[in-house]
Amino acid sequence: MNQYPDEDEEFELQYQDELELLEDVPHEYDAFDGPSTSRRAAAKQTKAIKDASRLENSTLGSPQLSQITFGASQIENDAGGGGGGPVNRRLFGTPKGPPVGRGCSTPFQRMPAIQEVDATPTASNGFKETDAVPLLNAAAQQLQELGTRGVNKRRLERDLFGDIDDLFHETYEDPLVKKARTEELRDNEAIERIVELRRKKQESTKTVRTDDVSRLKALLDFQRKNLSYEIPNWPFLPIQRSDLERIYVRFHSEEYEQRQLDLISARGAIVGSLLGEAKDKVWQEANELVLRRLAPETQPAIAAPATAVTAQTGRLWVDKYKPRKYIDLLSDEMTNRSLLYWLKMWDKVVFGKPFQSKQEREAVTGGGDAPLNSFNKRTGKFESNGGWRQRKTRQALNTNVDAIGRPMQKVALLCGPPGLGKTTLAHTIARHAGYNVREINASDDRSPDAFKLVLENGTQMSSVLNTDKRPNCIVLDEIDGAPRQSIEYLVKFVNDDVHSKAKAKGAKSEHNVLRRPIICICNDIYDPALRPLRQIAFVVTFPPIDAARLAERLGEIAKKEKLQTDFSSLITLAEKSGNDVRSCISSMQFFNAQKQSLTLQDVLNNNLGQKDRHQGLFTVWNSIFRIQRPKKQLQPDINGNGDEPALVTMTNMSIATRVRNVMDVVHSSGDYERLTQGVYENYLQQKMPDPNFKGICEALNWFCFTDVLQQKIASQQNYSIYPYLPYGFVVWHLLFATLAWPKIAFPTRGFEFTQKRTTQRNIFQALRKGVTPSAVGVGHGTILLLDTVPMLKRILSPQLRSVTVKLLSPKEQHDLNHTVEVMLDLGLTFVQVKSLEGQYVFQTEPDLDALGVFPGFPGLTVSYFGRQLLAREVSLARIRRAAPKQGEPSKKPASKTAATTRLPNHLQKLKPKPISGSGAPKQQLTKDFFGRITHKTSTAKSVEEAKTDAIVKSPIWYRYKEGFNNAVRKDVHLHELL
Amino acid sequence: MSLWVDKYRPRELTKLDFHKEQAENLRNLCKQSDFPHLMFYGPSGAGKKTRIMCLLREMYGAGVERLRSETMTFTTPSNRKVEVMTVSSNYHLEVNPSDAGMYDRTVVIDLIKQVAQTHQIEINGQREFKVIVISEGDELTKDAQHALRRTMEKYVATCRIIMSVNSTSRIIPAIRSRCLGIRVAAPSEAEMTAILQSTCKREGLALPVELAKRVVDKSERNLRRALLMLEAAKVAKSPFTAQQEIPDLDWQVFLRETASQIISEQTPAKLEKIRDRLYELLTQGVPPNLIFRGLVEHLVNNCDMSIKARTLELATEYEHRMQNGAKHIFHLEAFVAQFMSIYKKFTSELLMDEF
Repeated sequence: MNQYPDEDEEFELQYQDELELLEDVPHEYDAFDGPSTSRRAAAKQTKAIKDASRLENSTLGSPQLSQITFGASQIENDAGGGGGGPVNRRLFGTPKGPPVGRGCSTPFQRMPAIQEVDATPTASNGFKETDAVPLLNAAAQQLQELGTRGVNKRRLERDLFGDIDDLFHETYEDPLVKKARTEELRDNEAIERIVELRRKKQESTKTVRTDDVSRLKALLDFQRKNLSYEIPNWPFLPIQRSDLERIYVRFHSEEYEQRQLDLISARGAIVGSLLGEAKDKVWQEANELVLRRLAPETQPAIAAPATAVTAQTGRLWVDKYKPRKYIDLLSDEMTNRSLLYWLKMWDKVVFGKPFQSKQEREAVTGGGDAPLNSFNKRTGKFESNGGWRQRKTRQALNTNVDAIGRPMQKVALLCGPPGLGKTTLAHTIARHAGYNVREINASDDRSPDAFKLVLENGTQMSSVLNTDKRPNCIVLDEIDGAPRQSIEYLVKFVNDDVHSKAKAKGAKSEHNVLRRPIICICNDIYDPALRPLRQIAFVVTFPPIDAARLAERLGEIAKKEKLQTDFSSLITLAEKSGNDVRSCISSMQFFNAQKQSLTLQDVLNNNLGQKDRHQGLFTVWNSIFRIQRPKKQLQPDINGNGDEPALVTMTNMSIATRVRNVMDVVHSSGDYERLTQGVYENYLQQKMPDPNFKGICEALNWFCFTDVLQQKIASQQNYSIYPYLPYGFVVWHLLFATLAWPKIAFPTRGFEFTQKRTTQRNIFQALRKGVTPSAVGVGHGTILLLDTVPMLKRILSPQLRSVTVKLLSPKEQHDLNHTVEVMLDLGLTFVQVKSLEGQYVFQTEPDLDALGVFPGFPGLTVSYFGRQLLAREVSLARIRRAAPKQGEPSKKPASKTAATTRLPNHLQKLKPKPISGSGAPKQQLTKDFFGRITHKTSTAKSVEEAKTDAIVKSPIWYRYKEGFNNAVRKDVHLHELL
Repeated sequence: MSLWVDKYRPRELTKLDFHKEQAENLRNLCKQSDFPHLMFYGPSGAGKKTRIMCLLREMYGAGVERLRSETMTFTTPSNRKVEVMTVSSNYHLEVNPSDAGMYDRTVVIDLIKQVAQTHQIEINGQREFKVIVISEGDELTKDAQHALRRTMEKYVATCRIIMSVNSTSRIIPAIRSRCLGIRVAAPSEAEMTAILQSTCKREGLALPVELAKRVVDKSERNLRRALLMLEAAKVAKSPFTAQQEIPDLDWQVFLRETASQIISEQTPAKLEKIRDRLYELLTQGVPPNLIFRGLVEHLVNNCDMSIKARTLELATEYEHRMQNGAKHIFHLEAFVAQFMSIYKKFTSELLMDEF
């Protein structure tokens, strides 16, 4: 493994800061006190990890953790130059040390009981121990000792649990504890590590994966056959357990035993890494227990954690091959790095460790700019991991920090299509940076209240029950589905606005500031609900994964799972699924479950891995108007594959393939109506040789057909004919598609049309409402619009000179009056409005000018002055009409009275009853003070009568304090004032 | 009422200018106690509405001319508010259910039923039924018409329905059989000329015979249109002259220009310009079937005999399809493209023949 020493150096030099980022959490204590020995140890460790990472590139590079440690231990082992014994002794091996009794090989069903069996020093002949392993035993003891300590506990767990552990491989360590450590201790640790790794090496070289279920079954079977609580009918030996329970153990002949053992060991030689490890762990625990028992103060035995052996076969591959470490991540390197950088910026607030920003560090080390293009060790390719793209991403991330030391952007927002590994990235990076991930996703209650609770709990508290005290990092998954209020709350929370009330109350404002990073994940960044968040967040857009890189990873998985496949089919699979990792792996697992190999044919023929990708409208229109060029990437592979006919059609874009392609694209989009409109508004711009309108007619026939179908579906809700809709697109594609890149404009005409139509309708409705009901002649509905309105415009355009009304000629006067009358009948007026140009214009209300107007045709041809005049006249006439008609009765009183007699009921008004005696002289008797009847003189009477008459006759009375005065009175009607 | 169409509109059956025999029959009908549902049909501008109003006046007296207009709001089952304008007197109610578009069924169910169910308030001396006038009855959807048929039978004691339709073909047979159809044909040219002359006389204007004839020609025997044109012409130039210009309907001119553009050039670019013009027409509320008709008329007039039949065939085909569709522009454009295709073929063949 160490045949590339100089590359190693090179790698270290080039990726200094990334490596530091990668490593400084596990080894951060090294930075505190720097004695030479610890440096060395640290360097060794670093190197180990580096080697591991290199190993990951150069070899298979499994995403699993165990692989890495496997590599690391190997290296250490090589360096240390230690050798290990064979492994099968470890499978059933029992240490020969005095305290340890014989092992029972059935420890898997009930852990405590078996431990007790283990501990009982019986003379069971059932199990022969093979060679003892002193070295291993010693290592195990050391490990036990170290098990209590913090650092190696982590290592231990990782080594012991192997695959199962994916949660605790990075530990947050209290800096105080770290400081307390002495140098010797650290040296010891280094030595112990070496020993331990050596032991690991022994395990891993020998142990191979096995079929656990069958093993478990076999063990259970074995147990059932050989152990019993009752007296069995086979030859037995009774033994007593510590809880005084009697167990009967079967006798076997020597030959049988030997045969069995050989069988097991033979199987173990081929298979059985996982179980071997688990067994080893159990064995160590047993050892530990025994040691403790023997110790003078007999502590109560700690129940070994019941770690269920996960049935490896039942797991989803997606889960199984999930990246566990930062370097396993498949997503774009820049994206990962910038997110990690952002997360690291929180270190000062969360861990109290100062974070050196890149610029500062560069300033300190005096390092120049990294070369724009560099050789990437991991992919073995030249990558432009610098260049403009890098600068762009760095720009998006504001590297400044605020007063407390938090980054300016307190929320990271990951966005991208599904299946790219956003959630995985967030989890991995958060764990990598030493956080405990708290995820809230769409399955949780995300009402504003619940959201608030979770946010506050997550940022201000940490779990008490959990043993490791890592700070929380909140991951809000699938946030684009959250209610708007929740997101608004989040924004407030992040901006520390929520606690302003608490601040006002005084007390603890300091505690309520957000001190934990929040990562949000969404698919659609342009979701309207996310708008406020987008402005304050550090937005990380996920570029699609490179198909080749994905195929590489798929190949690794296939190799692991012994799925026969080839690279080209994997690439096709990746492309077909739109580089969706999850979908690819699932498809592969499906194929694996079905049969043994995955060929290109399978990929092409199956609908697997395809999903409804949301494609933009323009993408769809593009694929309709454009003939896809054959894919050159695939061609050599396919030719190499040779004989399958299905593969050949993939490249030459025959009609059938094009049809299928268009159908696929249109299907995936689904918004047929808008797509149709887009094609309709763009097809005439496409360059096509069509002298006889054949194609256009054909296309238009299909437009008509689509329209009729759509109308039918809409009106009858008959969706059985829905599948016929996309065929129109195929025809349009075949008619108009070219190899050139089409120019496509967004269809706006249809929308504009409906908008304008609505405006017109509204104006027309307003006009209709204004028309006097008795004006039957103007017609109804469309007739009013088509016949009357165009003529009205001319009728309402009299030719008037710009002079005052008085100076108009009689004809003009007549025209004016006529126009005013018509306008009144139709409820039209002129109103002054400010036009867009800022001028004041008189406009009809409702806007007759806008109705039935066509380009090139004059509307109302009345001048500004004419309009002004008309406006005034109309308003006067309106008042005149509203006033009670008083002029008219005087003109023809006779007819009026005749009319009143035959007045229909609804026209009759309430009138006071005429007083019968009004005509006759008043018979009123006036009495004087003494009660005598007095008679007024006739002259006085007549004067009085005349006076009252005059007053009663006129409609206006003036009352001046006392008495009545008729001196200034004159009958004035409103129309005389106007 | 100052528009001539309203000002000189006959108010009584006896004063009608044409179809006098029919008017007499209507008068006799009113004299009898019974009175069936009526359906006036005929082209627009023939005086259907005038006749209906005269009939109502004959029945109820002058009170029927005291009209008030109201806007009524209905809520459809899908919780949508629909506004419908009604014009009513004490004796009748006039409604245009097609205002509600596709929700006219609600209007029929709610409004008409409600009116039909209530009895006439004033019983003495009047008829014991009200009249509901449905204008533009042929615009009613099938659903609405079906909703109407039972109403017509059930409430026949309290209400009569008078429909005014352009064509009976769009009325379902069930309703047709329930109504007494009265055909109001468009006035003859002579009748129209006489009416125009008498109108001008009452206005104190001298109308040259030639001008009157031209107006009649232009108005396509639509009396309303003729009167409006005459009035507009009068505003343009007051003492009439024989050679005076008669104003045209804007949309008709526009349509005619569109048709001549189709004839003039047949290219995709032109087709796109035509599309803009068609959009313009639709925006301004010109019904697509009128557009079809206008186009066909002008195209057929201006093309060679050999492709006339084909043009008409295409027009019928596409117009029929359009009735089943929703996006009229597709069908209009399809027709235009088809015509361009055959016209281009024809002209190129013509050129070939010449060579």
